[in-house]
Amino acid sequence: MNLLLLLTIFPILSALPLMLPIKAFDCRKTVWSYALLSTLVTFVFSLVAAFKFDFANSGQMQFVDSVRWVESFGLTFGFGIDSISLWLVLLTTFLMPIIILGSLTAVNMRIREFYFWLIVLETFMIGTFVATDIIFFYVCFELTLVPLYILIGVFGSDNRLRAAKIFFLYTFTGSMLTFAGVMYVAYINVVNTGIWSFDIQTLYVAAATMSGTEQAWVLGALLAGFAVKVPLFPVHTWLPLAHTEAPTAGSVILAGVLLKLGTYGLLRFALPMCPEAVVEYAWLIGVFAVLGVLVTALICWVQTDVKKLIAYSSVSHLGFCVLGLFALDADDTGAVGSVMYMINHGLSTGALFLCVGMIYERFHTRDMAKMSGLGRVIPVWATFTVFFVLASVGLPGLNGFVGEVLTLIGAFLSPTQVLGYEYAAFAGIGMILAAIYLLYMVGKVIFGPVLVPEVHTDDGGHELKDLNTREIATLLPLAAGCLILGMLPNGMLVSLKAPVSQLTAPARFVANTNPLDTDTASIEPGLRLVLDAPGSAPGLTPDISSGIDLAINQSTPTETADRAAER
Amino acid sequence: MPIELIKLIPWIPLLGAALCGICCMKPAWRKAAGPISVLSIFIPFLITCGVYSAASGLQGDDKIQTIYQWMGVGNFTVNMGYYVDSLTMVMLFVITGIGSLIATYAMGYMKGERGYARFFMGVSLFIFAMTTLVMADNLVLIYLGWEGVGLCSYLLIGYYYDKPEAVAAAKKAFIVNRIGDLGFALGIFLTYKAYGSVSLHTVVDKAIEFLNDPNYTATTADLWIPFLLMLGAFGKSAQIPLYVWLPDAMAGPTPVSALVHAATMVTAGVYMIARLIPVFQLSPYALPTVAAVGGVTALFAGTIALCQYDLKKVFAYSTVSQLGYMFLGVGALSTFGGIFHLFTHAFFKALLFLTAGSVMHALAGQLDLRAMSGLRHKMPVTCWLMFAGCLALAGFPFTAGFFSKDTILAETLIVGMEGNGLFTLLALIGLLTAFLTAFYTFRLWFRVFMGPEHFEMGDDHGHGGDDSHDDHGHAHEPHEMPWWPMNAPLAVLAFGAIFGGLIFSGWMSGSIETSTANPIAIHAVDTHAQTDPGYSIIQVASDTSGHGSEADAAHGDEHHTLMGMDVHTAMMLISGFIALLGIGCAAYFHWLNRPLTDEIAKKFGVVVEVLYNKYYVDEFYDAVIVKPLRMLGHGFFLFDQFVINGLVITVGYLPRLVGWSVQPTQSGKMQGYGLGMVLGVAVAALLVFKWAF
Amino acid sequence: MPETVMDSLTLSHFLMTGAVLFCLGLIGFITRRNLIIMFLCTEMMFQGVAVSLVAFSRFHLNDTGQTFVIFVLTIAAAEAALALGLVVLLFRRKRTLDALVWSQLSG
Repeated sequence: MNLLLLLTIFPILSALPLMLPIKAFDCRKTVWSYALLSTLVTFVFSLVAAFKFDFANSGQMQFVDSVRWVESFGLTFGFGIDSISLWLVLLTTFLMPIIILGSLTAVNMRIREFYFWLIVLETFMIGTFVATDIIFFYVCFELTLVPLYILIGVFGSDNRLRAAKIFFLYTFTGSMLTFAGVMYVAYINVVNTGIWSFDIQTLYVAAATMSGTEQAWVLGALLAGFAVKVPLFPVHTWLPLAHTEAPTAGSVILAGVLLKLGTYGLLRFALPMCPEAVVEYAWLIGVFAVLGVLVTALICWVQTDVKKLIAYSSVSHLGFCVLGLFALDADDTGAVGSVMYMINHGLSTGALFLCVGMIYERFHTRDMAKMSGLGRVIPVWATFTVFFVLASVGLPGLNGFVGEVLTLIGAFLSPTQVLGYEYAAFAGIGMILAAIYLLYMVGKVIFGPVLVPEVHTDDGGHELKDLNTREIATLLPLAAGCLILGMLPNGMLVSLKAPVSQLTAPARFVANTNPLDTDTASIEPGLRLVLDAPGSAPGLTPDISSGIDLAINQSTPTETADRAAER
Repeated sequence: MPIELIKLIPWIPLLGAALCGICCMKPAWRKAAGPISVLSIFIPFLITCGVYSAASGLQGDDKIQTIYQWMGVGNFTVNMGYYVDSLTMVMLFVITGIGSLIATYAMGYMKGERGYARFFMGVSLFIFAMTTLVMADNLVLIYLGWEGVGLCSYLLIGYYYDKPEAVAAAKKAFIVNRIGDLGFALGIFLTYKAYGSVSLHTVVDKAIEFLNDPNYTATTADLWIPFLLMLGAFGKSAQIPLYVWLPDAMAGPTPVSALVHAATMVTAGVYMIARLIPVFQLSPYALPTVAAVGGVTALFAGTIALCQYDLKKVFAYSTVSQLGYMFLGVGALSTFGGIFHLFTHAFFKALLFLTAGSVMHALAGQLDLRAMSGLRHKMPVTCWLMFAGCLALAGFPFTAGFFSKDTILAETLIVGMEGNGLFTLLALIGLLTAFLTAFYTFRLWFRVFMGPEHFEMGDDHGHGGDDSHDDHGHAHEPHEMPWWPMNAPLAVLAFGAIFGGLIFSGWMSGSIETSTANPIAIHAVDTHAQTDPGYSIIQVASDTSGHGSEADAAHGDEHHTLMGMDVHTAMMLISGFIALLGIGCAAYFHWLNRPLTDEIAKKFGVVVEVLYNKYYVDEFYDAVIVKPLRMLGHGFFLFDQFVINGLVITVGYLPRLVGWSVQPTQSGKMQGYGLGMVLGVAVAALLVFKWAF
Repeated sequence: MPETVMDSLTLSHFLMTGAVLFCLGLIGFITRRNLIIMFLCTEMMFQGVAVSLVAFSRFHLNDTGQTFVIFVLTIAAAEAALALGLVVLLFRRKRTLDALVWSQLSG
């Protein structure tokens, strides 16, 4: 059996027994252990996949296979991973056991259902990342909404129904438009070749024949779904609500993985499919990204609910991510940094949500005005929180910095017709604001004179206890991840270079072609085909390659290492 | 010792920090944190001494010691690597040497504090960041150290974190530093864009190449890079307009003030500009700006220091002022003067802060000058140790501060005499500041140790409130500090403060000449009548062919004389006289005739009030920047909640509206549905027929 | 003579008959409120369609149409049994056969 297929369907299969009438599952600990075991096994599978993954060809789709569905319409479940997908899958499978580890005491009713939906959600998230078939991607993309809808709507706090409804409708509306855009590209493919296919590579080829206007419409359609998911500035309002109402596990998944579906979608579909439109409208997306960074950072500063503050900070942080994606600089610094940022944000913000969840379990409140000086009373918790805050602020040496600096450099070096240094400079102000609002939170909650709200413990006691071993075990892997990715990010960066370059190559080509010299709309479709097809970049003819940074396309890890060695 | 050992220098303190972190976990282990931390700083000092001879002989690419590649995307590569030249070694001596002395003192000072291990963890981590900063071979790694020291400063200022003012000060320090850091980061990006690399040697070599190329015209990037980097330097080194955090930072424990906020971290900006001096020379306006900001800050902070009553605040403003001198020196292209002053300042200012700490310790946290007088009998050793520091700070002849300050002032004056009026003015400002410095330094010393004996004990807010100060517990009498571990390190510092200038002057100038801080030589300005003073630097630079060999000419310029003497000699005479004058005035007003002083202060009440309130700059920033931003935040939040979310909700209501409009058709009557179906079929049939035929 | 009568009857006559039956049933269904009458009306519509089918069967000289009619009759019979059962149940609930009392679908 294909490893990826196993990885994808294992969680959902292992979740099924939870819904069977098995007596043992009536015990909280048993369900919890079972769920933990299931996600750990999935994590091991993904580690095996990472171990078998050929990093020398990280740009190639590997473990490629497909499951038939309706072949006459080209509907197959095709899957395979390149290193972008691999890292995101690893992020998902890494976060899941941690989330479950942290949820032992967080949920008190319908425990079976809770873990069932969590594990089912894992299948869909992995499915989204491993899909090489756009319908498969879309199905999983949409199906992630269902478990999360239930997690928020059933297990959330007071205002949960409204939050769940808005979350579902908001993201669903957007992604319907995305589906329309995707179908249009598929339709172009049918017109061109006469065969229905939803294979991503095939659709890249089809998309390359679209005119500039068509590309703009398709880009708009894709953005409608993905920008809502990211969320990009003006369409972000569902996120703070969903985050505040969701249970901790839901918030962590939402911030850690689900938001990345948006940026992943932009990278995987928008950039390669509509390069001209991307170059034309990058400024607009950039403006919204920068606005998002600044406006939501200021909004963070006036929050009184810790969780809401972190929720808004997600919007602010993802602004950097989008900015990097659309930087299109010659070295792909921005886009590589952006993928790195996705991982980093998943770790540090996910961890912050866990930290907030831990005090919420103790105090049943998240109001900053009601607590102060917690560093004195629960020092271990305070230490972890400060650590993750620093990772989130982008302190060099921790993971946040690497993504931030690369995305900003990308934006700074971006060709003037795409983005430019102004974007980097203004987004850079977001770094200051991030320090302001997060340290404001730390200053209020962790430092200052001791003020502890009423404590509620599981057994009805009122004694405030610091983190127990289980909670420390929840946070420790995340802290280790932040530190390792901060000090040794290079392996990941090198492996990301090749696949990211392939995805951005068409748009970079358009961006670096002087519009005065060449009518960009009339670029030979075939040329883009050559660029798009993985591994075939060396086939470029010399006269074409003069316009394209070939060395970057083909740069392999060894080559980068050589370059480093020359220093 | 093999040169490779130098790679260990930052990592030993990091290991020390990790061990201290482990010590935090069990109360029984906490006592071990102090010695661990001191060792983790002292071992790098030994390594620095050991590899010194090997390190200063390094040539070319050998200077770069790479450990591993930190980041690499395409052309953008950042190594975890160190650049070892004589400037690095000078900085390492300062950081590890003075760092170990201060950490030793802190073992005694912090004894019995609640967060003993946490404190030493912060100190070790700080040394890691600071050594990384001065050793880094590329700008991004410098940035790591840069932000790292900012973090440690944040953690250490916020050491007494249940005091709101300490928390506020810590936050302020970090955020103000971040503003500078943004400038620094953008400067790095622009450097990368312009030079295609972030590694120091590439950038510096290219800049030197440009400087030596007579046909090279400065690009926009060349003009901007220094200004962006400068912003970072001003933030870290507390210069106008970003100096406001440093005085507040005194809320931290005194050893932190001595180590972080006097001796090492705040000098990072001076180091950075000195390190990249060719890049700054490329922009004709950059170095004059640096000098002007430095000079103005020196005077500005000096005046504020005159009217402060808080012992540590006086020294804090004095630090800002002395850092201004360093920038003035660097801006006048005397990197030797700047770094030399950095070196001597590290000794005497650390000494001053630590002796102030001793006084504070003895008086149970009392810091108010008005509440102490004539303490010389109670704490004689501290009295004379501080006296040594005060002499050096005041620039008393032949002390360390005297030599370094004179170098800066003389070099500034030389640039001024070469036809640049700005620098003449700055030299005069420097002399005025020298007088103020001598005055406020000795005002403090005479107030504390001379005159009638009188003191009020503090309420010991500064100390964790733990009652385990047994061996030198808080009696109701001030008492002398024990020799070990407190006064002994101070004696070493005092020795450096008095004799450091004489001993190290030659070594220092040699070190600067063989490092990247060596400015591209300037001479023969008089052959070019420059209309625009700013341009002289770049113009002259392009006139000279080599560098390094002409560097001597830059320092001892024989063309200029003052009062019939060499400028340096003349300046020594003048400033020595000014220092003595300042000390004399202070002695008269603050020792011999205190009532007269109070009368004068009453007469100029408004001036005193303004100076005491630090020109109301904090209030100004609060009203102009902080409050509006927060208002903006509130505004955006409302906008977000009501306008954006309102729009979304409105859109959400559209389907409902459509629903309402067709609701009547759903009557619930079977006949109605039947009719609808029939009509529908009929219409469909009609359409089909029309279409088909 | 019967033959001539039959000869003079064309396909359209049968279709017209079917259509008239269908329309009568339809009008009855829409205008009447008694459940049983409405049900009978639907049966009438069935028969209208059945007549048409038989006519087509004869016209095309194959058995398909008649086969369908047999099917329809069979199903109609089964459905009539179910429907009358339902009507009885509905009557028991409200003691009336008026269709208007069942209007829960009203929006």
